[in-house]
Amino acid sequence: MSRFPKLVFLLGLSVAAGAGSAGAVDLAAGKKVFGKCASCHAVGEDAKNKVGPELNDLIGRTAGTVEGYKYSKAMIDAGAGGLVWDEANLRAYLTKPRDLVKGTKMAFAGLKKEDELSNIIGYLASFSKKAAAVEKEEPDTKAAAAEPAPAAADKASSQAASPPGAGDGLHLKLGRLATEEEVAAWDIDIRPDGLGLPKGKGTVSHGMEIYDQNCASCHGDFGEGVGRWPVLAGGQGTLRADRPEKTIGSYWPYLSTVYDYVRRAMPFGNARSLSDDDVYALTAYLLYLNDVVTDEEFELSDRNFTDIRLPNEANFIEDDRTDEPFYAGKSEPCMTNCIPGKATIKMHAAILDVTPENADEDDQPAGGID
Amino acid sequence: MNDRTTTASRRAFLRNGLMGGAAFAAAATTGSARAAGDPAITEVQDWNRYPGDGVDARPYGSPSSFEAHVVRKNVPWLTSDAVSSVNFTPLHELDGIITPSGLCFERHHGGIAEIDPAMHRLMINGMVDKPLVFSMADLKRFPRENRVYFLECAANSGMEWRGAQLNGCQYTHGMIHCVMYTGVPLKTILAEAGVKPEGKWLLAEGADASAMTRSIPMDKALDDCLVAFAMNGEALRPEQGYPLRLVVPGWEGNMWVKWLRRLEVGDQPWQQREETSKYTDLLASGKARRFTFLMDVKSVITNPSPQAPISHGKGPLVVSGLAWSGNGRIKRVDVTTDGGRNWHAARIDGPSLPKALHRFYYEFDWDGSELFLQSRAIDEQGFVQPTKDELRSARGSNSIYHNNGIQTWFVNKDGGIENVEIS
Repeated sequence: MSRFPKLVFLLGLSVAAGAGSAGAVDLAAGKKVFGKCASCHAVGEDAKNKVGPELNDLIGRTAGTVEGYKYSKAMIDAGAGGLVWDEANLRAYLTKPRDLVKGTKMAFAGLKKEDELSNIIGYLASFSKKAAAVEKEEPDTKAAAAEPAPAAADKASSQAASPPGAGDGLHLKLGRLATEEEVAAWDIDIRPDGLGLPKGKGTVSHGMEIYDQNCASCHGDFGEGVGRWPVLAGGQGTLRADRPEKTIGSYWPYLSTVYDYVRRAMPFGNARSLSDDDVYALTAYLLYLNDVVTDEEFELSDRNFTDIRLPNEANFIEDDRTDEPFYAGKSEPCMTNCIPGKATIKMHAAILDVTPENADEDDQPAGGID
Repeated sequence: MNDRTTTASRRAFLRNGLMGGAAFAAAATTGSARAAGDPAITEVQDWNRYPGDGVDARPYGSPSSFEAHVVRKNVPWLTSDAVSSVNFTPLHELDGIITPSGLCFERHHGGIAEIDPAMHRLMINGMVDKPLVFSMADLKRFPRENRVYFLECAANSGMEWRGAQLNGCQYTHGMIHCVMYTGVPLKTILAEAGVKPEGKWLLAEGADASAMTRSIPMDKALDDCLVAFAMNGEALRPEQGYPLRLVVPGWEGNMWVKWLRRLEVGDQPWQQREETSKYTDLLASGKARRFTFLMDVKSVITNPSPQAPISHGKGPLVVSGLAWSGNGRIKRVDVTTDGGRNWHAARIDGPSLPKALHRFYYEFDWDGSELFLQSRAIDEQGFVQPTKDELRSARGSNSIYHNNGIQTWFVNKDGGIENVEIS
């Protein structure tokens, strides 16, 4: 560590945390945890007393001694009794404030997670000169963890000559605050739990009118698709067939995806041209085409949207590729006499020749990727 | 005579200027053509006589006109419309590990957005301490990194799930490229806004006509992702997301959102179109895997291959190819000439960087007999590239995505090559 100035030491800490070393401090995570404190406490350049005292140089500070801050009697007494903040007593205090200083006016329940405690103490220590001096002198376990082992660096997949990445732990105060109007203009995404749904409503029958004008030329009158444009309806029961037809009704897990995608990207060539009500109506009509609703007067709105579930929702599973037999063993592959007999061809690409420049226009091979 | 001609020619050039000298030299050509031997040597060639273009003729250089066939190609039947489609990198014409920017395959869902960088903004919103907006100029004030990474479409080789279909590695494997990116670590930019502790997912959104969106786990975002503005040392190409794209090393190309304009922090994924109806892997059981982000260990022989047959007859033959893995570096590549009966360790040449293409070679003396060429990659985590049959037995044939099976090229006695499947 002695080769590096303080900044590099701090960078090393966060890299080690990224590689999952137990007990290492992650300053970025510590800063996040500090978000729970920031409404009452300030730390860093120009930090002032707020509801609570400012926290620069906290490590090594005698409790209850920041000038200009009105402490509880309990905290002043604790300092007078010899309480000087270090990482151990700070950990105890932040775990259960009233257990360490009975009568403190800090109305904070405490942190339960060990990593949160470690990270916020590390974060606060990074603003304390005394703590930094201690760290630099003592090659304790934390410092050892901060020295990134080559393997850890590889795991972090860095191509850098030195493991700490550019900009770790920096705050340059670049950019500006986004206004509410700006966020509203771009943040139009919808989640399955309904987060992001705009107020509005639309009926199946109104959706049919919009669909016929804007969508049917590509997706077909009944969502059957024209040419190679996406099929939107039908296909139920085909997911195990040779030629599965993946539609909203047969495959898509969530209705929110329909609303979100139509609103952000459809109609193709004129995105963002439909009103929120129109998108509700279209979404209702797509439910109707897929037999999820059957009443032509059905009205979809932000109020009943999350009541609707698509039939295939339960059939999505998480990535379990590493359990597949050819990966699970990670065995050394065979090098000699691996397969008996000579190789024989069982399929030629030339039989179904769909390679561009050779293929006929009519060829419609399997396995399109659209 | 040659000495005299040259001297005279130079004098003529100096005296009369370019045209006079050229006319004189042309008159002398007939004399030299009499010599026996290779006319490429014995005849004075035009380029050896006449000066070429000056430095003002090609302010941005392009390849030789003799390389005009080295281009990206579309497969029209794959998609509904060229505006929402894909083309393919001509892997059989390339060497080394870096893909020239103009040959990197394109995949976009609403055409190429042409964005004035002065009008481009990157917004961070959602579960952050403060929602922020950055201009391109702001982003270029953060510390940067340079990293070489492959980008592979999850659907690369997707047309081969049901069997051999396309004759050429450009089509079977060309949805991949590998360039050096310059950009700002995503974690640096996120730290500027302050991700709240409950922020576990990130939504990346593009500014194009599809407003492309993908959900990315926060762990990955804080690990090695970049917000990149340059590739191969110059600004991103428009078709690769100019002026700003996300780099998600080792993970499927669709997540590398181009024309990146917004990052939203949330506590769960958004289940967008491209992570539900697309880029999910339908299994034989009717279940479908989702969030299959990582690109598995894979390789392909790029030369010889159907678009690049053996034209030199028997004798010394260079077999060359590419290997890569989303898990990190490639540890070894094996090559077989007999359809997997016997394997030989190939030679990896050039840089071996994590999550980047690796170039391998296997040189041998071809006796002119039929060959079944295959390559098999093993990555640094010990994952071995599976056969296509192994993949099908585990997943069926309807997955579309994540086909990293071993490719077979059949070489006939004339050196012609075909995409086949063998037993």
